[in-house]
Amino acid sequence: MSHIHIDVEKISFAYESGRTILTDVSFHAAENDSIGLIGANGVGKSTLLKLLVGLNLNYEGSIRVMDIPVEKQTLSQVRSRIGYVFQDSDSQLFMTTAYEDIAFAPRNYGLPEDEVKKRVEQALHLTGIEYLRDKQIYKMSGGEKKLVSIATILSMTPDIILMDEPSIALDPRNRRNLIRILNSFEHLKIIASHDLDMILDTCKRTILMSDGKIIRDGATKEILSDRKLLEDNGLELPLCMQGIADKQVKEKPAYIGRRGTGTEE
Amino acid sequence: MSKIGNVIHEIHQMDTLAARDQWVNRIHPLVKFVLTVGYIMTVVSFSKYNVIGLAGMVVYPVALFLLSELSFWDSLRRLRLVLPLVCFVGILNPFFDRNVVLIGGIRMSAGVLSMLTLIMKGVFSVLASYLLIATTSVEKLCYAFRLLHIPKAMVTQFMLTYRYITVLLGEVNRITQAYSLRAPNQKGVHFKVWGSLAGQLLLRSMDRADDVYESMLLRGYQGDYRYMQERIAMRWQDVVYLAVWAGLFALFRLCPVMLVIGGLFI
Repeated sequence: MSHIHIDVEKISFAYESGRTILTDVSFHAAENDSIGLIGANGVGKSTLLKLLVGLNLNYEGSIRVMDIPVEKQTLSQVRSRIGYVFQDSDSQLFMTTAYEDIAFAPRNYGLPEDEVKKRVEQALHLTGIEYLRDKQIYKMSGGEKKLVSIATILSMTPDIILMDEPSIALDPRNRRNLIRILNSFEHLKIIASHDLDMILDTCKRTILMSDGKIIRDGATKEILSDRKLLEDNGLELPLCMQGIADKQVKEKPAYIGRRGTGTEE
Repeated sequence: MSKIGNVIHEIHQMDTLAARDQWVNRIHPLVKFVLTVGYIMTVVSFSKYNVIGLAGMVVYPVALFLLSELSFWDSLRRLRLVLPLVCFVGILNPFFDRNVVLIGGIRMSAGVLSMLTLIMKGVFSVLASYLLIATTSVEKLCYAFRLLHIPKAMVTQFMLTYRYITVLLGEVNRITQAYSLRAPNQKGVHFKVWGSLAGQLLLRSMDRADDVYESMLLRGYQGDYRYMQERIAMRWQDVVYLAVWAGLFALFRLCPVMLVIGGLFI
């Protein structure tokens, strides 16, 4: 078994209110895996990612990150190996300038200032945002904030990257840049997203979730080209596949005729 | 920009000022903090009729405005809400203190003099505090607090409160903007929805604060800002700066410097 891996075994999670979010979820992620986590709104994608970094600990089952069980006593070990990019960059960035925010993690891990500086410069270089180095966060655009968010975790030199809707609010150019960055990251990455085209470009493997359960786990191309599977689970074919599929699949999906009537579920 | 938007902008502007690479900004934060406290204590210690002696203390804010290249008028604009309040404090003194004192052989109303000293003390103190935060980032101030052995929990709380103020104001801004767009004929927020808006604000700002805190935890935060542990070395310039100003404060407090200077011209 490779050194960098995540093992999730039969985890279930419910909020204190009793609302069940995840039921019996299991998967194994190995080094160099690039996994797309897809599903309609509210199926538990973000919750699953948060469980992996120990932001919620009252789950049933077992989560092991590089053989370390995710529990209260091991949180600092687990978190030093995982970089987590939030869906909302404004929640992730809280320091004054990009430099300060990117330096936050290395400084917290007690690295000397020379090393902190080196890591910040590397992260800025990898994300191609050297020009944002001293820019204040509140003056940045949504795309700039997203790239800085990614740089804040790259400076931790993580073994594993988890991203929650990374392409949200990005213009096409920034989105392409993001895909380039994601593809250049060599280790394990798990990306939760509705942007199926981006998943197609960045992930070899896809996990499809519905109702807090894993419905399918397999090759991205296979899952994302299965129109029926996607539509049954509240998704649609990626845009780049819609033209091709329309030629192949003559029949109109059932929901199309109802669209706009307000009757679709 | 909305009023709340303006406030958020002003807070960020203060961060921008503190982040500038000016000579005064580079002075050790502990030196600046100690000098500011020392200055305020010296100013406050002048007797209530010693207007001339107190006037000499204007040298500190004036020098700092020049050294830091801060705009005086911008600063007055930022302090426009505080300064009138400070001036208002002593406004009743002329009515209560009807004694007469002699200054340089001239009879003057003691009430007017005490009003003037109160106003001057207030204005000088506010200006000194403003100059401190305009030339020192909140992280560096916290660093200075830790050097003074102020408990870590208090310093961290101060730091996070400062950070969360903009988070809270941002939520207020979003809620009021959403409200005003759907109530274009109303001025302000109708009192009937104050309760639900306040509730929404509380829940949303708690959510946002949770997210920010989680982001900090995921990047190694364990209850202490490492930034404050990064040692900022005390340079000889810092020591000289401290010594010169401390000497000047003592001189202005203990000797009638302004009278001596005035005597040279009269």
